[in-house]
Amino acid sequence: MREQGAGLGDREHGDRAGFLAPARARLAGDIFTNPVHVPPPMPAPGEPVPLPGYRNLDPDDLVATFAAAVAHAEGTCHVVDREVPDDLLDRLVAELNGRPVVTSAEDVARAVGARLAERGATVAEATTERAAAAGLGVTGAAAAIAATGTVVLDSRAAGGRTASLLPAVHLCVVAVNTLVPTPADVLRRISSRSDALPPSLVFVTGPSRTGDIEQLLTLGAHGPTALHVVVVTDAGRASSTVAPA
Amino acid sequence: MTGHLLPGTTLRQRTADAVANDRLRTNVARAVDRFATHRVEGLGELDDADGLRRAARAAKQQVLADLPALLERFADNVLARGGYVCWAPNAEDARRYIVDVVARDGATRVAKSKSMATEEIDLNPALEAAGAEVTETDLGEWIIQLAGETPSHIIAPALHRDRHQIKDLFVDTVAAPLDLGTEPTELVSFARRRLREVFLAAEVGITGANIAVAETGSIVLVTNEGNGRLVTALPRVHIAVLGMERLAADWAQADLLLALLARSATGQRLSSYTNVVTGTRGEGEVDGPDELHVVILDNGRSELLAGEYHEMLGCIRCGACLNVCPVYRQTGGHAYGWVYPGPMGAVLTPLLAADQPEAAEVAGASTLCGACMDACPVQIPLQDLLLSLRRRKAEHAGRTERAAWKAWSTAWSDPRRYRATTKAATWTRWATSLAGRLPVGRNWAHGRTLPRPAGERFRDRWKAGL
Repeated sequence: MREQGAGLGDREHGDRAGFLAPARARLAGDIFTNPVHVPPPMPAPGEPVPLPGYRNLDPDDLVATFAAAVAHAEGTCHVVDREVPDDLLDRLVAELNGRPVVTSAEDVARAVGARLAERGATVAEATTERAAAAGLGVTGAAAAIAATGTVVLDSRAAGGRTASLLPAVHLCVVAVNTLVPTPADVLRRISSRSDALPPSLVFVTGPSRTGDIEQLLTLGAHGPTALHVVVVTDAGRASSTVAPA
Repeated sequence: MTGHLLPGTTLRQRTADAVANDRLRTNVARAVDRFATHRVEGLGELDDADGLRRAARAAKQQVLADLPALLERFADNVLARGGYVCWAPNAEDARRYIVDVVARDGATRVAKSKSMATEEIDLNPALEAAGAEVTETDLGEWIIQLAGETPSHIIAPALHRDRHQIKDLFVDTVAAPLDLGTEPTELVSFARRRLREVFLAAEVGITGANIAVAETGSIVLVTNEGNGRLVTALPRVHIAVLGMERLAADWAQADLLLALLARSATGQRLSSYTNVVTGTRGEGEVDGPDELHVVILDNGRSELLAGEYHEMLGCIRCGACLNVCPVYRQTGGHAYGWVYPGPMGAVLTPLLAADQPEAAEVAGASTLCGACMDACPVQIPLQDLLLSLRRRKAEHAGRTERAAWKAWSTAWSDPRRYRATTKAATWTRWATSLAGRLPVGRNWAHGRTLPRPAGERFRDRWKAGL
């Protein structure tokens, strides 16, 4: 076992050097090149990895691209000017059938929670037990990705993972200034600093789904059956809703 | 030992059984057609998808060439984030470590997210023998666990079963009500309720890893159902089993692979949940595991590095090659006999299960048409690898077979001798029907029809002015 800082060695099991020795030995010789379907040249160190280009992306209207992509992934996207609209909150409360609401620890989620409580819902910050019983979970998002219709959830900011996972419905509030064009705009900006990433960073693209029965799309396998994403534009843009086809 | 070939069967028997099962073939054909159509649509939304596939092939080669250093970097980052790392040279080492972690925790309830690596090392029986109750939580995996089967597809393990068979299975094995409907929504809702109890009670969660990113020590888990999230959110202990080749050096490579992975698998732009796990539960978080164990598995992989089959280590387990394979379409996955089916399985089985006498046969389960390489998101030259595996097997063929091929090669490499054999063939027309019945030829002739030579050679007819 290699020398580690205090206490770290205890958490490494097996023989690292011994494990890696066969691989090192094999790589010390020539690497086989397939003569029939010749591989592309090995990228030079530091050569950038090509960026995927997304044909559904309209770089001049990220909000419209995002809304369409959320709907493409079977979620519903509401584009609003200032805050989550009253009629959506009324509808979500009506669908609760008396079940409680949980929110993440983010301010934006707590604020929506307060408005749901005004409408008679029982609202609390998520714990596993509460989230498991809840009909609705409310969270913010660390970022949103237009090309794929993805919201990015950060467990450090949200205070956990389950508010967006265990309830039957997930309501996610996205600030428009966190909306970026492509996954690369999030993934390739992850710093290699050891504390850069939260314990869980989840890229959520649509509600939970399965195709395991005859490859037919069925929503709500283990996670939420429905996903509502609200994009707050703060730009006087006309409100609109894009739902799955 | 790695996994298990179906005991007491041969490839020929398994293939014959599969081909005779019309219901199986209907189910498989329906599934692969849907996957293949969606894949084309999904990749069509990327600019120059073939260029990206080429880049992914290059990136994977780069990773494999630098694998030991990247593994060290990955492991150091896992340790720095409070995780445990286990270096497991073989399946037995991995099983023993995992069983120990579960036992030390006093845990009896284990929830698993879908993982082909744990299938490969036959983990569930080992955990069960140690007294743990293991539940697969991916719906397809749960279905085959209840049925006592192995996966028939690497991303849709139960695609060989239709809704009626699944309903009957639920009734027979987990006391589903007899009036449970056969609509997928009803079956899924039943499974959701049952498996939710499993998630909430589990003390240990076990996952695989789609990608491990060296620069941050992160594990990327891709699921649609959310099982990968639940298994890493609720149990106190998370164990991830990682094939040593599944690394990306950095997030730029991971971005490229993720752009291709879901589209190649199901046609989605991204799967519903792409979960990046880095270390254990953070301060102020109400859920997440207190312990994270990453088991890095060799199990025959390092032997493939740099050699003739090393590109197989670039496989990202999307299943695209299964969905376009004309052989898989007719037989489904079980005929291949081990845990990895289709073209990728026909390559991996002879290489990773080499200690099994029947394993080398599986490389024959291909038409060498090349549809697999055309579909592969990292452009693994699967047909070249299959051909090479067949060549390797032929070198170990029986003395009679080798002598027969040698004689044929000698005869036909000289024009005079070639002409003599074709002349001789016209005299032996009567004998061709016998060939399949002779003890020597019987195996070879099974499933083949020996052409009957013409009574007069073309050469002679040409000379005679046709």
